[in-house]
Amino acid sequence: MSAISAKRKRAIALLSLTSIILITLDLQGSASTSVLRGTFGVFFRPIEGVTRVITRPIGNAWHGITHYNAVTRENDLLREKIAQQEGAAVAAAASVRLSQELLALNGLPTLAGINSVSAQVIGDSPSNYSQSVEINQGSDSGVKVGMPVMNAAGLVGKITKVFPRRSIVMLITDPEYALSVKVINNPEAATPINDPEASATTTTSTTTTTTIPTTQATSNIPGFTPGTTTMPLTTVNVTVNVPQLTPALTIPASGNLPIRETGILEGRGPSRVPIVRFIDSAQRFGTILPGAPIVTSGGSLSLAPPDIVVGTVSKVNDRIGTSGPVLEINLVADLANLSFVRILLYQPITEQVKP
Amino acid sequence: MSARLLRVLASRWTRLVLVASVLLGLQTTLLNDMRPFGVMTQVMVLFAACAGVVYGAEIGAIAGLVIGLMYDCVLTTPLGLASLVLGATALVAGVFPYFVRESSWWNKAIAVGVASAVGEILFPVSQAMVGLGGWVQWRVLLVALIVGIMNLFLAPLLLPVTRWTLKETLVG
Repeated sequence: MSAISAKRKRAIALLSLTSIILITLDLQGSASTSVLRGTFGVFFRPIEGVTRVITRPIGNAWHGITHYNAVTRENDLLREKIAQQEGAAVAAAASVRLSQELLALNGLPTLAGINSVSAQVIGDSPSNYSQSVEINQGSDSGVKVGMPVMNAAGLVGKITKVFPRRSIVMLITDPEYALSVKVINNPEAATPINDPEASATTTTSTTTTTTIPTTQATSNIPGFTPGTTTMPLTTVNVTVNVPQLTPALTIPASGNLPIRETGILEGRGPSRVPIVRFIDSAQRFGTILPGAPIVTSGGSLSLAPPDIVVGTVSKVNDRIGTSGPVLEINLVADLANLSFVRILLYQPITEQVKP
Repeated sequence: MSARLLRVLASRWTRLVLVASVLLGLQTTLLNDMRPFGVMTQVMVLFAACAGVVYGAEIGAIAGLVIGLMYDCVLTTPLGLASLVLGATALVAGVFPYFVRESSWWNKAIAVGVASAVGEILFPVSQAMVGLGGWVQWRVLLVALIVGIMNLFLAPLLLPVTRWTLKETLVG
């Protein structure tokens, strides 16, 4: 009896030791753990597939019972939203197109210049302590670790593990996720400053007529071919305000361009909204207000290209001293209901594996 | 050679791997979709706890380590972490037979529920220990409570399965 017990104790010690060694190897980024997972996947996927087919009716019945009212309500809301947004979408698409062409003409990187792969979400993480989903595209489609993943609304996360025909996406809400972002604050209107020596302002308007010829847009950005700019010969009337003897001082509103401030976005788990830290305590654009959009900042060391929409500021928590405010973020992508995503074939320098 | 192979195939550990594969399939499909109160039922934790309650700390710990290692292969946390957690869960559950001599089915179910809750708390704690911070939050207690209650109700179903799976020999 004691011999059996000793044998079991040895087995427990051996298995525990194996686990510790595996943890160490995995944390060091050893390829052997990926091989082990891949091999297990080869045997386990058929079992999982069969189980999925068998249990689907039960799952559907569960969703039918628990989500029926919510789905009906959501359906009504969505119909209303679609009606509202149909018109706005056409105008927005035109603006985006123009913006991308302008960026391409100026040699600046745009999202349109980055190829992408569409994928379907095939599963969530089977754990209460992980914020990740599994998608049905892998290294066979050119997907690599670190690539940003987005859906139609905005940024969703990044690729953390790649297998030949599937990948694991870490969601933005995972506490391990961090990304440099920028806050776009709407500039305030021109601020008149009262100057006692200059109290009167007079301006005269001069009208100039400019003729813009049709131009053929070209781009040297790989993967992006801007369309022909179909701008006919146009006569534009520009009204120029020429100040005369300007006794009053008016600060211009920076050409009405939005001003930006960068920070780091951090996930905080499924029950808490992500936050943005390291915002400058004295922002050059003034107070950040709820509703300000958050987009990726880009840059050579960033995990994502610039200007992918992440969310909007929902709450500004001011802090004492020189530490800047902490912003709580409302994500635009609904991470609880992901179906299809797009992987940008953009691998950050920081995630590239050296040969 | 063939006799030895047959012995291996007929062993409780082979049965454990096969049953755990089926349960893992349920975990990654049906239970992954059905999340009452936003919390996933942890059938792998339940299986490890049942092994501990039915067969004691030693066999339970071995079973927990093996079940955990299989669970690790589908998780994104470092490989081996779930193995240690489920091994510890089974060990905690295995303490139960030392305290209760003539246990009834509902005694065992309660023990499984408590051990499952402990196991569920051990997950984020172990993650924090290997440097994956951010998961130790107050929400963990709520998750542990819900998992404990759900596993308490599921335990009467899985206890006979565990008893059959880890039986030393199927003959007699």
